[in-house]
Amino acid sequence: MTESRKRHPHASRRTLRVELIAGGLVILGLWCWGQGNNQPAASAAPPKNLPQVARSVAQQPPIGDPADTHLDTTPPRLTHGLDLVKSGWSYDCMECHRLFPARWHYGGDHRPLNEHRDIILDHGNNRFCLNCHHPTNRNAFVDYDGAEIAQADVVELCAKCHGTIYRDWQAGAHGRHNGFWKADLGDRTKLRCIQCHDPHSPKFKAMKPLPPLRYPPRAAHPPETAAHP
Amino acid sequence: MTHDPQNEVSPQTIEQVYRPVTRRTFLKGAAASMIGVAGLMAALKPLLELESGSITLEELLQKRYRELKPEELKRIMESLAAKAEQEYGVRPNLRDLKPLDGVEFGYALNLTRCIGCRKCAHACLQENNQSRDDDDDLEMSYIRVLELEKGAINLETSNMYFDPPTVPQPDKYYMPVQCQQCRHSPCTQVCPVRATWPEKDGVIVVDYNWCIGCRYCMAACPYDARRFNYKKPTLKPAQINPNQNYLSNRIRRQGVVEKCTFCLQRTRAGKYPACLEVCPTGARVFGNLLDPNSEINYILNHKRVYVLKEEVGTAPRFYYFFDK
Repeated sequence: MTESRKRHPHASRRTLRVELIAGGLVILGLWCWGQGNNQPAASAAPPKNLPQVARSVAQQPPIGDPADTHLDTTPPRLTHGLDLVKSGWSYDCMECHRLFPARWHYGGDHRPLNEHRDIILDHGNNRFCLNCHHPTNRNAFVDYDGAEIAQADVVELCAKCHGTIYRDWQAGAHGRHNGFWKADLGDRTKLRCIQCHDPHSPKFKAMKPLPPLRYPPRAAHPPETAAHP
Repeated sequence: MTHDPQNEVSPQTIEQVYRPVTRRTFLKGAAASMIGVAGLMAALKPLLELESGSITLEELLQKRYRELKPEELKRIMESLAAKAEQEYGVRPNLRDLKPLDGVEFGYALNLTRCIGCRKCAHACLQENNQSRDDDDDLEMSYIRVLELEKGAINLETSNMYFDPPTVPQPDKYYMPVQCQQCRHSPCTQVCPVRATWPEKDGVIVVDYNWCIGCRYCMAACPYDARRFNYKKPTLKPAQINPNQNYLSNRIRRQGVVEKCTFCLQRTRAGKYPACLEVCPTGARVFGNLLDPNSEINYILNHKRVYVLKEEVGTAPRFYYFFDK
């Protein structure tokens, strides 16, 4: 009895401290969430026949028919960003950029100090982040007139310069298609620009070809395998 | 009695008249009869196979695909599936998809986008159950990816065994060639038993149970699109695609010809062909030529397409084009 009385005040003090910390964290979290939701709404619904996007590009399910597991339908783009999403990152750029406003020009010696150092901009004559990213809302892209293009409508951004490609893509003549060619029998997965092209360096990287035809070994391995007397 | 030179009998010796058996004539006759007996044995070989149980009486007496009644075909497909399970360890879902109404398939390939990664050729293997010694044995793949020098379309100097560390190489471009599903197909016209024919949707198919393996069609094809099963197909259970169709990707017999069917086990169910599904650059466009709003018709209307070996007059349903 005495022992418990002795211990009790100490224990309650500890739980109080834990509760205070937990409560503070919850309040902080709610505040952050509220701030996140208060960000400026995306531009008015654009008139277009783009495929509807429920989730951000990075959170889309794998492409193609799930039954076709024997076919390798991975897009060619290396997306380490996707791993961040899987590990729980919300992809909300304004979490940081509310505090770190944009600099117009990151050229020459003025590289970013910590983040985004892995980004090498090699996209035509684009030299500035804000050529594409919106200056005040980093969750969106910027249109000709400074309006916002939502992340899911990234195709609209690319169409600013690549109009003919955009036209072909809309008609189904450019880009990856997977699933069903016949619309009434099933869904078609139509990939958007940045699912294949890295927007900072859009040219496809050279890749290793799959193994060649083995026989006849006429041109495949001429000097090594052909044993001449 | 007048002298008639036509009725005159020339004087011959008795040896000349009776031709006695010499060593030479005996050997000749023996060789001829040996060949005859061998031919007879070869002709009767199916009966031996029948006795040993490797083929059934029904298979031996089976009619060609186009004369089969639906219930006969169903019975044959059941026995084929059972046989495949017994021989290869995987029970296929064997179907017989019919051509869709109002559909004629067309294919276009953007040579500017193709990087020569050979994913299409390998996906073809995984989809169509071709015989292979290992996972990367492309011998029976229906797609040959050619490497060409930039500046000309010169197939004679093309290379299908290219294996650089990375593709695309800066001075090269790449052209995958597969069955062009010709409108005037030479292969179907030379078949002596009519075991290959164009279907209503434009796909040229082979009846593997009717093919006699004469390989006339392979000689007639200007695109090297057909493959011959010199041996009984070797497939591990893990390599078998169970989604099979009677006229396309079911496991073939020894001694029959096979070819690309635009993956009709997929395309007649509304799906894209396997080679298109895996193309990392989206160089391939597939669709219905009879649908004016299809992707393939967009290509035909807006791009400068060309067909391979136009001068041979085959009128392919497979188009190539370059793009900006």
